[in-house]
Amino acid sequence: MSLLRNRRVLIILAGLIVAANGFFPALWILFTSFKTEVELMRVPITIIPQAPTIENYIRVFVDQPILRFLFNSVVVAVLSTLLCVTCSALAAYALVRLRLPGAGVILSVLLAIAMFPLISMMVPLFQVMRDLGLLNTWWALIFPHAVLSMPVCTLVLISFFQDIPRDLENAAMIDGCTRLGALWHVVIPLTAPGVFTAGILAFVNSWDEFLLALTLSPRVASRTLPVGITLYQGEFSFPWPIISAALIVAIVPICIVIAIFQERVVSGLTSGGVKG
Amino acid sequence: MSDAIRHRLTPLERAERRLGFAMLAPAFLLLAAVVLYPIAELIRNSFHFNHLAQPWMGTPFVGFENYVKALGDDRFHEAVLHTVLYILVTVPGAVVIGLGLALLANQPFRVKWPVRLGLLLPWALPLVFAGLIFRWFFEYNQGIANAMLRGLGLEPLNWLTSPGLAFFAICLAIIWKSSSFVALVLLAGLQTIPKSFYEAAEVDGATKWQQFREITLPMLRPAIFVALIFRTITAIQTFDIPYAMTNGGPGNSTETLAMYIHKTTVDFLDLGYGSALAVLMFLVSAVITSVYLRHTRRDPGRH
Repeated sequence: MSLLRNRRVLIILAGLIVAANGFFPALWILFTSFKTEVELMRVPITIIPQAPTIENYIRVFVDQPILRFLFNSVVVAVLSTLLCVTCSALAAYALVRLRLPGAGVILSVLLAIAMFPLISMMVPLFQVMRDLGLLNTWWALIFPHAVLSMPVCTLVLISFFQDIPRDLENAAMIDGCTRLGALWHVVIPLTAPGVFTAGILAFVNSWDEFLLALTLSPRVASRTLPVGITLYQGEFSFPWPIISAALIVAIVPICIVIAIFQERVVSGLTSGGVKG
Repeated sequence: MSDAIRHRLTPLERAERRLGFAMLAPAFLLLAAVVLYPIAELIRNSFHFNHLAQPWMGTPFVGFENYVKALGDDRFHEAVLHTVLYILVTVPGAVVIGLGLALLANQPFRVKWPVRLGLLLPWALPLVFAGLIFRWFFEYNQGIANAMLRGLGLEPLNWLTSPGLAFFAICLAIIWKSSSFVALVLLAGLQTIPKSFYEAAEVDGATKWQQFREITLPMLRPAIFVALIFRTITAIQTFDIPYAMTNGGPGNSTETLAMYIHKTTVDFLDLGYGSALAVLMFLVSAVITSVYLRHTRRDPGRH
């Protein structure tokens, strides 16, 4: 009996280690964000805020256009996700269903192109966007971000489409649906979890992207959250309490998305890798 | 090849094929605009002189001059060396830590969400934010690292302003950030290993360690391979975390190849030379990507 109880304790301990490893940095930043500047000067350091204040949060919203950063991030992430999932879904369906010659090779080519290192594309993309007058606009990021997630979205959607029996589509087409109609009215609703998974992965990838956002959209008013917060300069030094508050503001939306859809995200992340 | 495939296509099949290529078109148009055309421009640039700070020089063709310049550029050699060191430390580091996390997470928990979120949160966090948070951890006065040293009665260290320590701190941040994704991939692999294998080993009197060596590791090999390749592809491009923690300093001691390319083009405005360096980089990563694609080659039409 005591052995059994020990086993339970060990299992809980294992879970605590994993959870602590993941949550600790974000929790530390959360605590820091409620501390006053004075408390942050104190040595030895405090862990729990002694005199919690929301001053830092007020300053985040007043001193810096963080709502603007947030808005830019949301627009870029949502539009690039829609573009990515649409392109990936059409391609995945064609590869799974339409008996294309060399479908495997086409998929490999698609993945290979989409996996080019971002840093290599940065310089020419900068020139292209400048020539098109798109620098510092949302479009400069929406198109590259859509490509960023194309490999994972295509792989996830392929694995979901493969599980839909052909007969369902055939029945729809006998009833007068076109191929695209069958995709839209039959396949997409049935694979909604897969489409959703692909969408969340694309959203997170775009939300997190830094290098292109830094290079193609550097003007303050058009910065996304990662760039806006990283380039945040105080009057004298890096203002850590305010940065912490800004980080929390930026982390919370993505945490909510992840918490709500955690099972889908895990299955999507691993389906690309393990099934191979 | 069977006769079924060789036979002449019916009009219906031909129509399906046309539709199929039409449905691939948006994806490939996007790839052409965002990747292929820029890469072509990149290669063209790398053979030209193109310095935005010297516009009067024009952009003459210079052959391999930019590449030859790279051969004698010490800062480039150092950046390559740093990138290789980051790869050698953080890729195995993330896989080992990730395997540990996966084994810990592969338990019959009654409540699953804390562990799952504990693995997802580091993955979902932007790399630069992880960099900023770890920069705060290693800050001289208020950082946790020095607080622990003081607690042990030791002298605090200048983590981010001495080369060796800065490299260590950056590696730690990268490993923390990337090990949770590895753990998720390996955890999915662990869950495909049938329980009966362990039960049989138990009957034969195998110890836990033997079970790990003889069952878990061999069964996990494909998943570990995928994790290694994914990590290597991203490690070659290491940029965000060192940028946020040290911006390559002190001196250039933590500067990666990606950071040097970024500085060469965006700060020094030398597009020609920066392009040549970027070409060298994508050649290396293309090799590793092709290893991954060869490993996971599959035919989506056959199921």
